[in-house]
Amino acid sequence: MTAGLVLIIGGLVFLSGSAVLAFCWAIRDGQFRNLSAAPLTIFDKDEPVGLPTDRFPSRK
Amino acid sequence: MNKLPMIFVGVLITFASSWLGLVVYPFLALGHMQPAPDEDTGGYFPPTTTGLAVAGQRVYAANGCIYCHSQQVRPAPLSTDIAKGLGPRRTVARDYLRVQPAFLGTMRTGPDLTNIGVRQEEANWHHRHLYDPRSVTEWSIMPSFRFLYKLQLIQGQPSDDAVKGLTGPLAPPAGYEVVPTDDAKALVAYLLSLKRNYPLPEAPLPPAKK
Amino acid sequence: MKPQSLLSSINPANEPDALASYERAEIDASTRGPVLLFFGSAVFWLLVGSVLGLLAAWKMTHPGLLDSLGFLTFGRIRPAHLNAVIYGWASSAGIGTGLWLMARLCRVPLMHSKLLVSAAVFWNLGVLVGVLGILAGDSRSIEWLEFPGYATPILFVAYACIGIWAVIMFRYRKPGHVYVSQWYLLAAFLWFPWMYATANILLVWQPIQGSAQGAVNWWFAHNVLGLWFVPIGLASAYYMIPKVIGRPIHSYYLAILGFWSLAVFYSWNGMHHLIGGPIPAWMISASVVASVMMFIPVVTVAINHHMTMRGHFDALQWSPTLRFTVFGAMAYTIVSLQGISMAIPSLNTLTHFTDYTIGHAHFGLYGFFSMMMFGAMYYIVPRLVGWEWPSATMIRWHFWLVASGVLLMVGALTIGGILQGLAQYDPTVSFRSSLDYATPFRWLRGISGFLLLAGHLVFATLFVQMLLKVGRRKEGPALFAAPADHKPEAAV
Ligand code: HEC
Repeated sequence: MTAGLVLIIGGLVFLSGSAVLAFCWAIRDGQFRNLSAAPLTIFDKDEPVGLPTDRFPSRK
Repeated sequence: MNKLPMIFVGVLITFASSWLGLVVYPFLALGHMQPAPDEDTGGYFPPTTTGLAVAGQRVYAANGCIYCHSQQVRPAPLSTDIAKGLGPRRTVARDYLRVQPAFLGTMRTGPDLTNIGVRQEEANWHHRHLYDPRSVTEWSIMPSFRFLYKLQLIQGQPSDDAVKGLTGPLAPPAGYEVVPTDDAKALVAYLLSLKRNYPLPEAPLPPAKK
Repeated sequence: MKPQSLLSSINPANEPDALASYERAEIDASTRGPVLLFFGSAVFWLLVGSVLGLLAAWKMTHPGLLDSLGFLTFGRIRPAHLNAVIYGWASSAGIGTGLWLMARLCRVPLMHSKLLVSAAVFWNLGVLVGVLGILAGDSRSIEWLEFPGYATPILFVAYACIGIWAVIMFRYRKPGHVYVSQWYLLAAFLWFPWMYATANILLVWQPIQGSAQGAVNWWFAHNVLGLWFVPIGLASAYYMIPKVIGRPIHSYYLAILGFWSLAVFYSWNGMHHLIGGPIPAWMISASVVASVMMFIPVVTVAINHHMTMRGHFDALQWSPTLRFTVFGAMAYTIVSLQGISMAIPSLNTLTHFTDYTIGHAHFGLYGFFSMMMFGAMYYIVPRLVGWEWPSATMIRWHFWLVASGVLLMVGALTIGGILQGLAQYDPTVSFRSSLDYATPFRWLRGISGFLLLAGHLVFATLFVQMLLKVGRRKEGPALFAAPADHKPEAAV
């Protein structure tokens, strides 16, 4: 019973603590600053916006 | 856009709060719950169960009865459980003090078993039913649990604990008898112990209608 | 020392966060071992899980089927099926997808792949021990946590490796924006151990008393879905849909809002499994409210994906990835709205203890999550083995078999469940009728199991062919040629 309690409270402090730290970091790092450019980050020079990157394999 | 940090903080707190509310709270509040004293007899509700019935909980868990049978009676305006005769009153947290784990269940492919010990008090009925459900209830889809029983040659006198009155295709051939294993005996003891027909302060029995 | 920094100093025109194609190929290649290992074991458990599920389904209509042996009894096959598909198939596929996405989005080659390989080995060992333990009669009968106490520590070891890896990877990522998929993945990788540890400690190792277990059980079981599978599935969708059609996600703001509102509301949802049950009423009310609030994250995701796809629906014809992913995304919307409706107490009384719930669970885990994972695997595997999928026809068969299979299953269980629930609600109707009403629909569900199994066999064949490199070498390092009949559009 007490072991469980210690684990629970410990877990709560540890996990929510690390989550708050992550959040503070995200703000400091400017993660929320430029939301209109953000979705473009998955595109590159050679896989630019407008280039489809998947298709059914062509028939032999 | 600069509202986002606010959202972020709110979300974190709420996730932790769900953990506090749905895990830590029941842990603290329900975890220390005690049986209710019974003034008439000096006993307690829920009553203690025998060691055999406790062992039966393991058999119940191992064989997955929970995937077809629930063990909870929901209160009246919300459901028709009580009108359906599943029990005289709703079940509450205290009812589950002595079970491990609490077999609340999420399916009613078969009937709710909260009060099966009241409905079927006879051990032999349960053995017949577990051995071959369709020999008792012809339309049943409950699987046979005959692997919990031994089919053996009758040596002289039939054994005392042999299952009586077995019929149907799985009935033992002449000269043989079906004897429950320890697991089957424990399971039936557990089923017979399932009686939520005692009053609790938070869930009194309805006044008897005569 | 790092090739990319050298490159950018030689050629300043190359922006720091743009990747040359060979760099991306290098990153993809670095993930090959662990990701293929996770995918391969996922496919294996998918087959095991489908066979177990099929058997369980047929046992519902043929109770005498294989009933003489304990380890084949319905009450063991069913949890074995559930755990094989949850931890064996879905989690492995999700982890594999997560690793690959994480490496790509962090823009660095995968590090410490030995850590991940041992994680994969331990994970599979844990699932194997757990499933065998259930069949041997050690099931705990705590839904979604049936694995016996000796199997879960093995899974923990595996999980610890993955969690540590995710944090290291994130620390070493290339500077720049953290894409929404990364948020989803990191959150999932952090939430899962929290939930899994809490539930195992309080239910299996140091069991708490009585019906508090019910609360912890459903807090866990529902969060596995919402805070483990949903984030991974959505992380994949948020990458695959824009990437495949070559168009950025419609609204990034909605994406982040959706992410955080999911975390807020989902974590409170689970108690709607206990409506009318023996836990404090306020917990259930809070869950019902939170379930209804799920409307926000669900609708934001639905709008976002739809708006991204708008004008590109013809792409469903030429991209296998997109076809599976969009099916999954649509299923996500429908199944979530269905789930919301099921939390409303008056409907819940009808559907709660019936096949309806089973249908809902399959819609979520299969219609949404598994389809997402198929989509992701169709995208990822060619980039790992440098080979093209050997047969478009087989991919089509796979899609139509599993799509019709899951729709038939969910449809049958939904209708059957409603009839069953109506019969069980009406005090004048016998219990037997609730069985009789459901029976024909259980037959249909049994048939749908064959469709799914057939689809999985097709997929497994394709997957093995990829490993054996049957078919054609893939053109280009990390890119399929654009379909000839589809003109790439101008940048949006
Ligand atoms: C495949 C689903 C299924 C499983 C698994 C199952 N049952 Fe049943 N059970 C039923 C059905 C359907 C009925 C109703 C027909 C009948 O009485 O046989 C039933 C009826 C019962 C009854 C009689 C209830 C009454 O009110 O008369 C008992 C007792 C029972 N089951 C116990 C068990 C036990 C103990 C186990 C596990 C060892 C178990 N059942 C596993 C489906 C199942």
